[in-house]
Amino acid sequence: MLRFIWELLRKDKWFYLFVIFVGVATLPLLLFRNTVSGQIVDAVVYNQDYGALYRLLGLLLLATLLRVLLKWWDNMQLEYISQRAAKRLREKMYFKLCKMDFNYFDKTRTGDIMTRMTADADAVRHFIAYVGYALIEQISTFALGLGILFFISWKTTLAILVVAPFVFYFMQRMSKEVHPTFQRVRARHSALNTTAQENISGNRVVKAFAKEDYEIEKFDRVNDGYREANLESNRISSKYLPRFEIAAAMLTVVAILFGGYHVLTGEISVGDLVIINSLLWTVMGPIRMFAWLVNDMQRASASAIKVQEILYMQPRIKTKKRVLSKDKFTGDVEFRDVSFRYEDEVALENISFHVKAGQTVAIIGATGAGKSSLVSLICRFYDVTKGAVLLDGIDVRNVNVRKLRQNISVAMQDIFLFSDTIEGNIAYAKPDVPFSEVERVAKIADAHDFILRFPEGYDTIVGERGVGLSGGQKQRIALARALLKDPAILILDDTTSSVDMETEHHIHQTLREYFKGKTTFLIAHRISTVKDADKILVLDQGRLIEEGTHEELLAKQGYYYDVYQNQLGDFDVHAGKGGAQDGQK
Amino acid sequence: MARNKYDIDEALESEFNLSHLKRLLVYIGRYKKQIGIALSVILASSLFTTTGPTLIKMCIDLLTENAGKGLTPRVVLSIAGILLVFLVISVIGAYFVKKKSRLMAQVGQNIIYDIRRDLFVHLQELPFSYYDARPHGKILVRVVNYVNSLSDFLSNGVINMVTDLFTMLVILVFMLCLDARLTLVCMIPLPVFFLVLFLIRKKQRKAWQIQSAKQSNMNAYIHENIVGMKVTQSFTRETRNLSIFKKICGETMDSWMYAMKFDKVVWPTIDMLSTIGQVILLLFAVPRLGTTISVGTLVAFLTYIGMFWNPIINLSNFYNMIINVMAYLERIFETMDTKPNVTDKPGATEMPPIVGKVEFSHVSFSYEDGVKILKDVNMVVQPGETIALVGPTGAGKTTIINLISRFYDVDGGKILIDGTDISGVTLASLRKQMGVMLQDTFIFSGTIMDNIRYGKLDATDEEVVRAAKVVSAHDFILSLEHGYQTQVNERGSRLSVGQRQLISFARALLADPKILILDEATSSIDTKTELTLQRGLDELLKGRTSFIIAHRLSTIKNADRIMVISQGTIIEEGTHEELMALHGHYYDLYAAQYSFLESVS
Repeated sequence: MLRFIWELLRKDKWFYLFVIFVGVATLPLLLFRNTVSGQIVDAVVYNQDYGALYRLLGLLLLATLLRVLLKWWDNMQLEYISQRAAKRLREKMYFKLCKMDFNYFDKTRTGDIMTRMTADADAVRHFIAYVGYALIEQISTFALGLGILFFISWKTTLAILVVAPFVFYFMQRMSKEVHPTFQRVRARHSALNTTAQENISGNRVVKAFAKEDYEIEKFDRVNDGYREANLESNRISSKYLPRFEIAAAMLTVVAILFGGYHVLTGEISVGDLVIINSLLWTVMGPIRMFAWLVNDMQRASASAIKVQEILYMQPRIKTKKRVLSKDKFTGDVEFRDVSFRYEDEVALENISFHVKAGQTVAIIGATGAGKSSLVSLICRFYDVTKGAVLLDGIDVRNVNVRKLRQNISVAMQDIFLFSDTIEGNIAYAKPDVPFSEVERVAKIADAHDFILRFPEGYDTIVGERGVGLSGGQKQRIALARALLKDPAILILDDTTSSVDMETEHHIHQTLREYFKGKTTFLIAHRISTVKDADKILVLDQGRLIEEGTHEELLAKQGYYYDVYQNQLGDFDVHAGKGGAQDGQK
Repeated sequence: MARNKYDIDEALESEFNLSHLKRLLVYIGRYKKQIGIALSVILASSLFTTTGPTLIKMCIDLLTENAGKGLTPRVVLSIAGILLVFLVISVIGAYFVKKKSRLMAQVGQNIIYDIRRDLFVHLQELPFSYYDARPHGKILVRVVNYVNSLSDFLSNGVINMVTDLFTMLVILVFMLCLDARLTLVCMIPLPVFFLVLFLIRKKQRKAWQIQSAKQSNMNAYIHENIVGMKVTQSFTRETRNLSIFKKICGETMDSWMYAMKFDKVVWPTIDMLSTIGQVILLLFAVPRLGTTISVGTLVAFLTYIGMFWNPIINLSNFYNMIINVMAYLERIFETMDTKPNVTDKPGATEMPPIVGKVEFSHVSFSYEDGVKILKDVNMVVQPGETIALVGPTGAGKTTIINLISRFYDVDGGKILIDGTDISGVTLASLRKQMGVMLQDTFIFSGTIMDNIRYGKLDATDEEVVRAAKVVSAHDFILSLEHGYQTQVNERGSRLSVGQRQLISFARALLADPKILILDEATSSIDTKTELTLQRGLDELLKGRTSFIIAHRLSTIKNADRIMVISQGTIIEEGTHEELMALHGHYYDLYAAQYSFLESVS
């Protein structure tokens, strides 16, 4: 862990040691204050030397001022260095998260990552600001005290060193025993975070099912688990407290026994024994502190491990060393015998098709048939298990991932809006775009009108995930967001399912105009949405079962035909026909 | 609609005040007994620790007398005896230290547990709008991080403060008894200290308030970015976000350093002042030595003054801690004080088992003053009827169903279920009999089995599977790696939206509600699955009053009655055939949809 922290300090490394050194260097100044009173009493009362009084007092004030200033500077620097390190750490973690693939986010709980980026990073900061300093301060005090002792009476010093092995043994044992308890504390902290976070994010469901009591019960469990873990950790560390205290007491006993023997035999003077005694307190202080230091170090170490896990993890989607750095793609997409599985679960099997640049492809199929997986592969959110996805004839794995994604715009079915203004959400891809541009895409997505109906219009802040908006409104904002990017390939994954048919039809009419020349992938359930596509792919359980235009697929009388008949069946023929004619007038 | 985002500091409703302090004392007061024991343990252990040096002094005195005289049994025995006593006392003292540490940890952890629990319980009562109004990370930071920040304050701060105050008073009494005049001289720097505290107090408070807001912002940004990382990556905005994050981290750091500027001023001031106190004492006492002041008194005072300032240094740490903690406490209490918009009225009764008749009588409602969402809505729905609500976005469909589950209270008029005004019944008894399926499904982390069981916690595995079969979710669940035991999480991990909707369908079926509300609940389910689902849906709707908001015509057409909502009122009402015959809004809608399907080339 120390090595990790040392690396984390980067160019502050040596400065950090210097600051600690300065802090330790102020210790003698403190010693001076504690002895000056005695000197004054000696000088004035016994020697009647009033000049010494003013001189010593002046010195005392100066020494204190110097010490206070140094300490103040020192403390501020320690805060500053530790804050910078924490900031750097968080940024590094964030940077790494940006690199991680979808697979990681599919599997990892939000509360867990949260804990690492907040509480764990903070534990590391705390270590740098306080524990690291205290560690060095206490060790040097201990060493200094022992050193002086050694000069006065090396025999006594050697004798009291008998205690040292015990102290080191206790430190080791305690480290070993307390470490797992801190691991448990932070695991429970993570569980607490997860439970609270899910409750907050899922508050609508909790209320809809009136499951507040159950949620409270669940929360009580993790809340209690966290408390118990903390108490358990305290139980272990407090178990060791007396041992260090007793070791410190033993130190005195040995010193007095041994030193006393030499005093009695006349080997050392009483004066020396008095000095030895006072130095003992200097040496005992650190021993008592060791228990706390071990404790704090292990706490920090449990967190540092979790932080490092994030820093050292590797995304599955890797950019190869040598990739094509092509900026613009035309949008020609080919799937060549593609299979894809999540873990052991087959998602797509032997899919082959070819889409020319500028074509519109519609994908339909049952829930879970693999539609979203298929389009995810184009963006390389996941890597294929077998076969290859080619863009302009180049395997997407040979293209710089960022460049690739810049050429593709996706509106995902699972809509996530940020708690930002509507304008900020639409302009997510290009935050610096002029407002007119935002307005333009909002109009295409048929969102402009309802946005203006909000009292604050485009400046309305939408809640996280777009709560507070209806499903259709969210979808239209997400659509506008995707449109702003102006890519070669546009992917709309069930983007208009919550919009009423009339609006949907209107949106797609406009889109067709707008996206002439761009390759468009369209996942939808309504035949009315997909029927005008250049190519329709029908997926069933990960396989491509039908492919062709609306007419071709109808002629086949297969899956697509069935779906069409079903949707047509929604309109009872009589009234429907009439309606149709009316509608076409 | 939301009011806050990650880069806006939240406004504070009410500053930390006396009533907050009183509430905190209530939490602390619950552990009076433990705190009392801890205090007496501290008192006892300080007795022991002070006798230690005296015993050693006795040894040294003995040795001084006998220095160089060789080992005599008397001396050796006495010294051994004294050291034995010393050792025994040290051991006892050590165990007191342990006891104290455990007691303090318990008190601290228990109080934190209580505060966190109360906060969480209160959050459960707060309406959607509270959650919608701010980033979720900002609520989370209160429940988890802010409460944790109280830990040190509660377990160490409070008890230490009491002991420090006590020590200070004892020493003050000693000093006063010895020489009142010298005591006053010693106190001269004290007012300066209070002046310094007073001067920085406001800024220091503000600094910590800013710090807590920045911490909250950072938390919000981290939270939102983890949840929204897929969007970020697909829009390749990583670099931009990283620079925003850097800015936020920078602000958090700056706010911390700003607060530190004040915090770190306190301790050096005291240290300096205590030295000045020492100097003043000496300057005052030395010329008077032998006349009005004895050497012994001076020596005693020099010792006392050191002892007197020590607790003050500790208390100043405590003071810093309080200022810091206030910034968190006021946020915690602010949340606890947020009033839920819908609560049980005094004397609210249990809703009797619902049969299913729902009546709206002259209902009007607005979310914000002046913007009426519903105007004079009247309807009567018979038990078991299925009602489809149709109309453009923003017409008020969702509002109507929100009012039935009493997520909001009506502004005017009444909603009656089985003739009982729902505003007079307890929320829990009402909502427990309703099932609301929202379009935005939420999956909790856990197994699929657990997620379906959320509808009825004591359901057996068989019941869960049966429900899944009815809603045609069974097949896809079995196709997953671990079937019903597959772990899913919050965002539903790789389940498609349609699959998630099926799971929440099963959830609703299991809940067996008397009144069912489906708000765009099947929008992402494909036609084929929907067809098989239809059977399940029929079973789900059988014998229940249900309200359905949907765009899919098949769903609407199967309803017993269709209500067309426009601009906050019901403008058409009837069966599919009746409305078609009417040639009104519904007819237009229907015709338009049909034309989209048929207008091939």
